[in-house]
Amino acid sequence: MSPGRGDEVARVGAAVSTVVEQVFATVARVRDAALRSLEREGTPSAALLPAGTRELLHEPGQLAVGLGLVVAPRPEAGLPLRLEWWQVDPGDGSSRALEPDLRPTSLGYYDYTAAEWFDVPRRTGRRHVVGPHVDVHGTGRYLLTLTEPVGAGRRFAGVAGADVPVRRFETHLLRTLGPLPAPFVLVNDEQRVVLSTAPRCLVGSLLPPDAGAPGEGARIPGVPWRLLLVHGGRLPVG
Amino acid sequence: MQLLSGDARRAVFAPLDDGALRSEAVVRRVGSAIGLGLLGDGEQLPTEAHLATMLNVSTVTLREALAELRKLGLVETRRGRGGGSFVRSRDDVLAELADARLEELGTADLRELGDVHGAVAAAAARLAASRASRTEIARLRDIVDRLASAETVTGQRRTDGRYYIELAACAQSVRLTMQEMDLHLELSQLPWPPAHAPGLLDVIVAGHRAVVDAIEDRDAARARTLAESHVETRTLWAIELRLQRLEAATASGGEQRAVS
Repeated sequence: MSPGRGDEVARVGAAVSTVVEQVFATVARVRDAALRSLEREGTPSAALLPAGTRELLHEPGQLAVGLGLVVAPRPEAGLPLRLEWWQVDPGDGSSRALEPDLRPTSLGYYDYTAAEWFDVPRRTGRRHVVGPHVDVHGTGRYLLTLTEPVGAGRRFAGVAGADVPVRRFETHLLRTLGPLPAPFVLVNDEQRVVLSTAPRCLVGSLLPPDAGAPGEGARIPGVPWRLLLVHGGRLPVG
Repeated sequence: MQLLSGDARRAVFAPLDDGALRSEAVVRRVGSAIGLGLLGDGEQLPTEAHLATMLNVSTVTLREALAELRKLGLVETRRGRGGGSFVRSRDDVLAELADARLEELGTADLRELGDVHGAVAAAAARLAASRASRTEIARLRDIVDRLASAETVTGQRRTDGRYYIELAACAQSVRLTMQEMDLHLELSQLPWPPAHAPGLLDVIVAGHRAVVDAIEDRDAARARTLAESHVETRTLWAIELRLQRLEAATASGGEQRAVS
């Protein structure tokens, strides 16, 4: 790899990290608020997040359109599925509580405990990014969902997280980057394209199997993403 | 009033755009939402004023619709503190509503509904073949397995709807997913085919399995063709049922005329 290409990879990678860390900083504030309540109250029966948490959504430069806490259900203690989640209404820009369908018998049943954004932080104790995905039973948007566990191991109380629309992430990252580098593709651990400046690689598509071994490309620290440069329309080159 | 989230639930209260017989349209919409479990047994409906605004109908129209729903036994109204309109889930009433709806529709309407559903499902299946992750394919399989073992007609119908919606989500398309949700609010107003011929459930399950196999093989063309022809088959079932009913009605009508 020529030094020039390495520089480009480093520059794009750094920009991606900056944007991601900005969102995780918000998630960390949600997590801290939840932990403070947990330490105070012990049993999460009432709301854990202070009402002011939703104001994070209205801070200048905020990328997230949804944030909050998704509580780990504890059937043995009579504590059911529960979300404390706010989202920005696409219509009037106000924030509202998300009230998804939590009835198992419904067509719209939102079984979040099976969702990757809940399950991975629970299993691994580490933060995770899911997406792009169609949030069918939640917000109905095309999203990246960034989550991290609240508490760990036996004390796992749920996940704190934020939703960033794919479009907003792309616009913000490209603006941060300024002059576009050589065409690049950002892929997640499912080989799905998160962002692309190569017209033949569409957001949401999977990399074709002949595009090289998974694991190629430059890792983005702290997220399950890799960055690949595109050579003359062909993938991939790390 | 809460913001109903999850697009399926949002679609229940989306404004009506069919001009004629609006109170009947409200009755049908609420009925299909109960059938799909989007409105649960015992759930309180929004206030009259709010509901009228959401559906974009006059309060007079809404009251007519609520009166009809009460008569049918699908809504119960309680007065006083903590009062309001509450949903009652009744499978027998929903089945009657479905039969009445089938009688109302012409074969051209059924064909049109099938055409659009076929287009959406086929496009979703084609895209899913190149975009669905292994986790998503496993989830589709799980839904089809649940459909095969669902015991009630209501459970089968909901799981079938869930399959189509997840398939559209596997295509990574918000718009196709929303189309599927809207379509199922309409499709669920019609009789569920296996309710009349239980053997058809096996055909439906096998049809979905074949599509998921094609998606797993990354064979976009096959996934598309299979999804399209499966929906076509089901459209034909609905049209056949419609024609059988028509024949039965004509036959009994003819007898009556002969008697009188």
